Amino acid sequence: MMQDTLNNQVNNPKGKKKYEFTYQRQKFIWAIIFLLPWFIGLLLLFLLPFMESLRYSFYKLTPAVGEIIAEFVGFDNYFFAINEHVSVATSTSFRVELINTMTDVIFNLPVLLIFSLFMAVLLNMKFKGRALVRAIFFVPVILNSVAVTTALGGGQAINDILAQQGVGQIFDLHFFLLQTGFPEFLVAFVVGLIDRIYDILALSGVPILLFLASIQSIPNHLYEAAKIEGATSYEMFWLITLPNVSPHILTVTVYALVDTFLTSPVATIISDELNKQAWGLSSAMAWIYVLCIIAVLLVVFVLAKIFKIGGSHYEH
Amino acid sequence: MNINIEADLALGKLSFNEEAKQRGKSIRRIRKFQSISLSVLRTLLLGGLCFVILYPVIQQLLLAFRAPMDANDPSVVWIPKNWSVQNFTIAALVLDYWDALLNTLKLSAISMILQIASTALAGYAFSRLKFKGSEVLFIFVIITIVIPPQALSLAQYLYFRDLSLIGKELSIYVMSGLGQGIRSGIFIYIFRSFFKGLPKELEEAAQIDGASVFRIFWNVMLPNARGAIVTVGLFAFVWQWNDVYFAKIFEISTATFPILTMRLVNAAENIYAALFYTGGLSLIGQDVWSNPMFLATISNVSALLMMLPLLIMYLFVQKQFVESIERTGIVG
Repeated sequence: MMQDTLNNQVNNPKGKKKYEFTYQRQKFIWAIIFLLPWFIGLLLLFLLPFMESLRYSFYKLTPAVGEIIAEFVGFDNYFFAINEHVSVATSTSFRVELINTMTDVIFNLPVLLIFSLFMAVLLNMKFKGRALVRAIFFVPVILNSVAVTTALGGGQAINDILAQQGVGQIFDLHFFLLQTGFPEFLVAFVVGLIDRIYDILALSGVPILLFLASIQSIPNHLYEAAKIEGATSYEMFWLITLPNVSPHILTVTVYALVDTFLTSPVATIISDELNKQAWGLSSAMAWIYVLCIIAVLLVVFVLAKIFKIGGSHYEH
Repeated sequence: MNINIEADLALGKLSFNEEAKQRGKSIRRIRKFQSISLSVLRTLLLGGLCFVILYPVIQQLLLAFRAPMDANDPSVVWIPKNWSVQNFTIAALVLDYWDALLNTLKLSAISMILQIASTALAGYAFSRLKFKGSEVLFIFVIITIVIPPQALSLAQYLYFRDLSLIGKELSIYVMSGLGQGIRSGIFIYIFRSFFKGLPKELEEAAQIDGASVFRIFWNVMLPNARGAIVTVGLFAFVWQWNDVYFAKIFEISTATFPILTMRLVNAAENIYAALFYTGGLSLIGQDVWSNPMFLATISNVSALLMMLPLLIMYLFVQKQFVESIERTGIVG
């Protein structure tokens, strides 16, 4: 080994330069090797169906025996989805649901982010029963599955019967608050918020875990140094936790955004159309909806760039 | 200049004056009050939220332990009159539980490992091994996250049919191994932001010591990204466990290879038929199975049985979240 290096230096006086060059090269080669499985998957399993689906959205596809008849219709599927589509089952239209989902996302996203970061900080503190509380917060992540929802959908019968027996609600919050003399509009707001707590918890299960993992990866010595300097936990949050978590805020935003879209009524409408074998229409809808998400994402990325969220502070 | 310290020349000692003592005391009092109020608030908040999450689960559990004969008994509200595990026995029969559990476990575990491998490699390449055009490639990762799987289902089905992978678990492994499994894009994103957050000095130190790129990845970076590995592994496992969508379009659940989710969905859609075919009806009398409440209970118990292994697993895994990377090795 030693001999080799010596020889190398004799034969090649610019040994150091060559080393740098080879390291860069080595990096490039390994980058290709590391990306290869993903890239093959991207080409074969994603881009191919992706292009196909884009093509479908311009066709009217009708299933026939053993094959699918395709008829070119131009942008008709898109116009139909936006202007004329009405869902019979839920008596809403694609356009209305899309607009609703977009506005919901804009209002819910900041709430979701702040709430899940706050919960992650709380769950990261040391207290008795922390393991149990963390496990409980994980329950919505598990419950958030189509299979479980379908099975519990049968639970509607149970809820009805329980409601008949008067067990449905533990106590009638609305009634109690009105009795204590709160103004009507405030009561409606509070009750609405409490009704939504479960929804917020269900959506924030994954973001909480992501934030928790990122808080855990902050080196401990930063906190130790801050404590010695006499920083309060409030200061430690703003000056240590937040900057270190900030690269992950973007990840969580992307996840939460896509998750809210995928669980929105828009996704249900697309699935319904798919099940009705209206493949062209459902492809067109999926594409409109993808364009909407990308538009929101672009806004988020631009905002992140402006406020310098997401850059690793190790990079400067 | 520090006026809070008095010098006692006779004893040769420095001591705090009264004012400073008082202030120290009051600061300590405030700190103590703050920490107590913090823990009270925290307990209240976490307790309340846990209650919101657990309330429906506890309700389901108590219903599940009720004896089937009591399903409609109006005198039983919360605590079952006759405790029984018969609901569980019947639900296990309906789900073909032990076989399905084993298959689901195998499917989720293998796909989890493949997902971790493919996405960690890609995430590392995107964060640490940048080259010209890697930013452009990363846009594709974002696109894979954004596109709803429904949009690709028909094309994917036809494609996999041509490869004759339909009806085989191999199709899931191929998807996960090539980084296109369930939400692989978000996993790549997670790994990328974790690797990005690791200090550059780690890599440089290893590089000076003569480690190759792969060794830096394997021996230096990967052990430090344990949080990311645990997180991704957990999600990959849970989402594969809960997955209905891919299992449906690739028709993975077959008579010889039952999976929990598909059994559960089929059972929930027609619980009576499921009971009939699996012989669950013969275990109980007609007066019981003609009761819609009983059928709904069985469907709920099946869902509980599906969730249970995940919860037990999580109790063990969550310890991993506690240990942060104190081994980073770079101080100051």
